[in-house]
Amino acid sequence: MSEMWINMGPQHPMTHGLWNLRVKVDGELVIDAVPEMGYLHRGIEKICEYRRYNEVVTLMDRCCYVAGLAWEQLYLMASEQALGVEVPERAEYIRVMCQELQRLASHLMWYAAFVMDVGLMAPFGYGMRDRDIILDLFQSFTGARMTYEYMRVGGVRNDLPVGFTDRCRKVMGWLEQRVNDYEDLCDRSDIFLKRCIDVGVLKAKDCIRDGITGPMLRAAGVARDLRRDRPYSVYPELDFQVAVHDAADVYGRYRVRMEEMRQSLRIVRQCLDWLDHKPGRVIAEKVPRFVGTPSPPPGMESYIVRRGYPKGVGFSAMEEPHGEALAYVVNEGGEQPYRVKFRSPVMVNISAARDYLVGYRVSDIPAIMGSVDICVGESDR
Amino acid sequence: MSTPASPPIPSRHPAAEEIKFTLPPPEPTGVASLVVHPLARAGRQFMKSLWRPSTIVYPFKTPFGKTEERLENPEFRKEVDIRSGVPLGVGEVWDNYRGVHALNVQTCISCNLCMFSCPDTCIEMVTTETPDGKTKKCPQIDYGKCSFCGFCSDACPEGCLSMTSRYTLTTNDRGHMVYSPKMMYAIYRTKLPMNPIRLARPENEDNILLDEDLCIGCNACARDCPTKCITMIDIPKPSAPKPGEKLPKRIWKEPMVNDEDCVRCGTCISVCPKECLYWGSHG
Amino acid sequence: MSAATLLGVSFWLAQTMFSTLRPITPAPLLPLMGPQAQLATGYLLAGTLVFATGLVNSIMLIWWERKLLGRFMDRRGAMHVGYAGLLQNFADGLKLFRKQPLRPREADKLGYLLSPTAYLATSLAIVGFLPVSTGWVPGVAPLSLLMALALFSFAPFFIFVGAWSSNNKYSLIGGMRTAAQLVAYEVPLLFAIVSVVLLAGTFDLTGIVNAQIHDGWFALPLALGLIIFFVAMLAEVERIPFDLPEAEAELVEGWNTEYGGMLFAMTTLGDYVRALVGSYLVVLLFLGGWWMPAGPYTAAINGFPLAGILWFQVKVYIVFAVFVWVRASLPRVRTDQLLQIGWKRMIPLSLANVFLAAAFVAEGWPPFPKLL
Repeated sequence: MSEMWINMGPQHPMTHGLWNLRVKVDGELVIDAVPEMGYLHRGIEKICEYRRYNEVVTLMDRCCYVAGLAWEQLYLMASEQALGVEVPERAEYIRVMCQELQRLASHLMWYAAFVMDVGLMAPFGYGMRDRDIILDLFQSFTGARMTYEYMRVGGVRNDLPVGFTDRCRKVMGWLEQRVNDYEDLCDRSDIFLKRCIDVGVLKAKDCIRDGITGPMLRAAGVARDLRRDRPYSVYPELDFQVAVHDAADVYGRYRVRMEEMRQSLRIVRQCLDWLDHKPGRVIAEKVPRFVGTPSPPPGMESYIVRRGYPKGVGFSAMEEPHGEALAYVVNEGGEQPYRVKFRSPVMVNISAARDYLVGYRVSDIPAIMGSVDICVGESDR
Repeated sequence: MSTPASPPIPSRHPAAEEIKFTLPPPEPTGVASLVVHPLARAGRQFMKSLWRPSTIVYPFKTPFGKTEERLENPEFRKEVDIRSGVPLGVGEVWDNYRGVHALNVQTCISCNLCMFSCPDTCIEMVTTETPDGKTKKCPQIDYGKCSFCGFCSDACPEGCLSMTSRYTLTTNDRGHMVYSPKMMYAIYRTKLPMNPIRLARPENEDNILLDEDLCIGCNACARDCPTKCITMIDIPKPSAPKPGEKLPKRIWKEPMVNDEDCVRCGTCISVCPKECLYWGSHG
Repeated sequence: MSAATLLGVSFWLAQTMFSTLRPITPAPLLPLMGPQAQLATGYLLAGTLVFATGLVNSIMLIWWERKLLGRFMDRRGAMHVGYAGLLQNFADGLKLFRKQPLRPREADKLGYLLSPTAYLATSLAIVGFLPVSTGWVPGVAPLSLLMALALFSFAPFFIFVGAWSSNNKYSLIGGMRTAAQLVAYEVPLLFAIVSVVLLAGTFDLTGIVNAQIHDGWFALPLALGLIIFFVAMLAEVERIPFDLPEAEAELVEGWNTEYGGMLFAMTTLGDYVRALVGSYLVVLLFLGGWWMPAGPYTAAINGFPLAGILWFQVKVYIVFAVFVWVRASLPRVRTDQLLQIGWKRMIPLSLANVFLAAAFVAEGWPPFPKLL
């Protein structure tokens, strides 16, 4: 068969979203790959400039639909720095707990999608089932299952409900056992190993050259985790380990994510212990007035003129479930942020697709792209 | 533009180290790990879920009217009241779920705060009749635009607009997605579980301030204030004018705002003909 | 011909029909109601019966798979249409039947429309050669096994025609994979059958089952052959772990990507008819067909053919449950790995199996009385 280009996407089971992977194949062999992004571009960064600081939070949930709370915190860390707001410690602990629960949910969803790509039917149901338990936990304190809108400038909207920590501990106990089950299910299946080992190899040097972050980088043997290397929030107080694998292939990424789930369970437990004993405020006392109050009626520009708001710049870097996400918020003294800019890890990870796809077979593409963990919502924004 | 990005906080916890995995030794390729183990694992799950599968992704009622539990531990899915921890029942939606709004038309004060706080501009204030025959402006919500963020119910000072656990909005007509105040009042009367969490008002809110030199004492703000927290008070006239000097044309009254009752809706600012009211803090 | 066979029942039905209709037929039409017409009607009724059985059975197989897969994935399968979702697939079929037929503009009309039809028709035709109980087969064919296998191997041809003519790159790759895979797995499949034929000494499926009634299940001496046949059958009916032609992760739906509506229903139904035929063959060749283990009631039940049919059906559904079990627990293999397994592992093993069978024939089966 002669060479031909195949469009995998924008609507294709492999893409897990809305993007297009153009592959040039020679028979079954991939000889070129061009990822095309932008089908899901909604102009979120621009819309942010027309929304007040708190209202941007609603967009962040739509930004990454599997790790909404992570992006809420990413944005809020930057905007709190820009506005000069101190967050109460309890709110920080709740946020970190949300982070890690979100990482668990995201990795569980990744697991379900990844094994489905490899062709395993049953674990898909298990992954989604266990993610559903975490979504139930989220619903019990945020009021929604996917679009949480829970965090606010200066903290979080409301405190945890009565009995939440016990319920959450129970779930953590289940999940610990389940993660072992999953690993057993895949690690001891020979066909699975055959599909994963030595496939989609991207060595550490190439990862760093391409700017790849997150589990993909750690699977290549680079121990870089922003939670440890550039600590934010209350991560310095917490005890956890960074999972690193040397294989640099699909199997290594799978193992790193599995270990990260266990570490997340550890962190959540520590947060729950803290939250049990230290009641307190969950939102800062001194938030800028315009963040808390509704805007004046239209046409009252004098509202802005008469106030002398503080100006500032905020920057935050965070280890999101998919990799390192950065946010940059410029506060020019208005009600709305002057400029908001995000760096999405998924965008970078997908853009390097040619480096880890060429030379493998068409049947390997779903396994490799599945191991990248794609969330198009955040990469296109 | 002055505050630079803060330097990274040094890690206070040295225990945050890394764990390195090495590739597992190549498993002996054989029938055991090729077929038997996966089959055994799947078979175990099959036997487990033969009696009662645990994944049911929506509240499901059995033919006998009993509600199905959803997980291994049925107690877990007993949804509880957020504040008291009292169980509500299995398979119900949590009462802090952000679903369709319920509006108590009778206590609505037409303060427009829900409209101002809506990020998606899906709320419009429309004239409606209350059950006791009064006419007032109440919010009308276009669910085609609504993102169910809950900012409106957070902003509502009277607690009359809140979100319920109802989530079915299916319709054949896009026009039916616009819920009039009457429809939301009907939802209110069904006594669905409503979001019990009310946010406390921020402590350092702006107040309504008056630029006395501009005020003409026209009473518009006091007339339109939804909470009637503005009273027009008499101010003393200046002493008799000197010969040849004209007194400024004003009625010798000016508004005084009761900050305790004020809900900070800004209606007074918008109706002021002279733009003499503004936001600010005392002192 | 006894009354309790397929042909007996259909001829009796035809006779009843004709004897009722003859008195009320106008005189000019009477020549059309002769004995030959009655015979033809009898055969037609038999064919219809087989056709309906195969179709309904494969639709129920979909239901069975959905329910089982649900339990494997820790959920319930279809459960809303009919009791426990029994009618769900009929509803789905009805929905697909009502859809507007769409054809890609650049597709080759003849090949595009013909291939699903031919795929389903040839698959259904196999059912006509498989006996489900003593005498329950439309025709007595001495080479019925060969006929069934010949029809069985038509499918890759039609799949490739459909894949090529729908003018889609995914379909093309899927068609190519089908061709490679089916050719690779046809060989071990046939070798496994050769071993059975060696033991039974006949190509007649009824004869093979009778031989098993005499000697015991062929699964006992030919356990290796059963495994090879089962694996090759998994590949032939394109099920996980060998479902590469329609690997939905990389090729959207494989060779039937461009099919929609009723044509899609026909391709899917064709897959399940082939799965049904595969399960039939496993039961017929290795698991003793409709013969049930000896017991006090054996004679009574074996004397009554309908009981044999029921017993046979139960076996078929259990064999298909193993298909589903494998689907639920194994991932999909890669193209090169698939061909490697096929050519490098399966064929030597199946050859060894043939030698084993030959040794059994030479030594005489069962060997155990002699050893003891």
